[in-house]
Amino acid sequence: MREERDELIDRIAAELRVVPPLDPALDARIMAEVATLPAHEPGGVGAAVRWLARPLTLRVSPIAGLALAAGVAALLLWTGVFSRRDTVALETPAAAPGILLAHQGRSTVQFVLVSPDAKTVTLVGDFNDWDAAATPLHRAQAGAWSVAVQLVPGRHRYAFIVDGVRWIADPTAPPAPDDDFGSPGSVVTVGA
Amino acid sequence: MTASKTLLIAAALLAVTAVPSVAQDARLARRLDAATYAQVQGELDSARLAGLPTEPLVERALEGASKNAAGPRIVAAVHRLAGDLASARRALGETSTTAELEGGASALRAGADSAALTELRHSRPRRQLTVPLAVLADLVARGVPADTAARFVVSLAPASDEQLVMFQRNVERDIALGAPPIAAAAVRMTGVTGLTSGDAAPGPQASPPRKP
Repeated sequence: MREERDELIDRIAAELRVVPPLDPALDARIMAEVATLPAHEPGGVGAAVRWLARPLTLRVSPIAGLALAAGVAALLLWTGVFSRRDTVALETPAAAPGILLAHQGRSTVQFVLVSPDAKTVTLVGDFNDWDAAATPLHRAQAGAWSVAVQLVPGRHRYAFIVDGVRWIADPTAPPAPDDDFGSPGSVVTVGA
Repeated sequence: MTASKTLLIAAALLAVTAVPSVAQDARLARRLDAATYAQVQGELDSARLAGLPTEPLVERALEGASKNAAGPRIVAAVHRLAGDLASARRALGETSTTAELEGGASALRAGADSAALTELRHSRPRRQLTVPLAVLADLVARGVPADTAARFVVSLAPASDEQLVMFQRNVERDIALGAPPIAAAAVRMTGVTGLTSGDAAPGPQASPPRKP
């Protein structure tokens, strides 16, 4: 019994050792395919650049993709990319009229008021004798009115007059407390 | 010098100095009623005699006229401003410019005290105070306690006027976004760059006040 089992194992092992016959053309096909591949070049800057530039396929699950997008958005918010505090070369902060130019001791300051229903808007202040006819604003798009005025350095009080009768403060500028006459006004500070 | 020449020179000087006041009078005469005009003129004459600038007073009267304020209210406003200008000059010095006195008057009106103005002058002895005074007035008007605002502005005295204006605007924006005024000022003050206690940024020169 034991001898029959050993003989059986030996016959199975011998069968497994036999190499299956290969297609004689296999070698030729392999070498032909190898011949079409680009030659291997030794390492260098060009090789490194090509390695870096080669496209990669990145597979992520939908939930991983959402998590990645959320992380990027959080990073952008933290660094202030979407911050309301815009920084531009010409500072036009949301809390004051914009200073456009400074020249020869005076700065050109742009005053803007959004008032789509207004027919006329004028600017009055301590720089034009509070004259309602001196400095009319010009209507631009979307109901915005604007005018540019040259001001000397210092603190200037002003207001807008809408349709010749309604005094309003500049909603984007600091308020000017007016104990004397009780009308609303605003302040702009111009540097030297 | 003969008496006639003396009189001639005096008349010429009077004519030269009277021209600006005549021009101012014309603006006021056009926009004030006769009674108010006369009283405002009295205030202007008093200010002129005291050596105070009169243009801010004229502007205040014109403001009242534009706002259709009653005559007595206009006169009271002009009188009050004249007092503020005198106080500002005592604090800032006799050689202060008109713009500095206006800024000082605004700061005093907003709640700053004279000592703060004097300290500011000492912290910037040879530079214009127009912008620091304006920033001080604005901070106090926006709710920063007067002594704290004065301390901030004095600390920022070495900064340039541009930096001060930027500081004021940033504080204003933070307050508009909901920050407490004093916190906004404190945070923004640390953001003014390049400042040490010994820094002195270039700027227009002004002579220091004469000590009484």
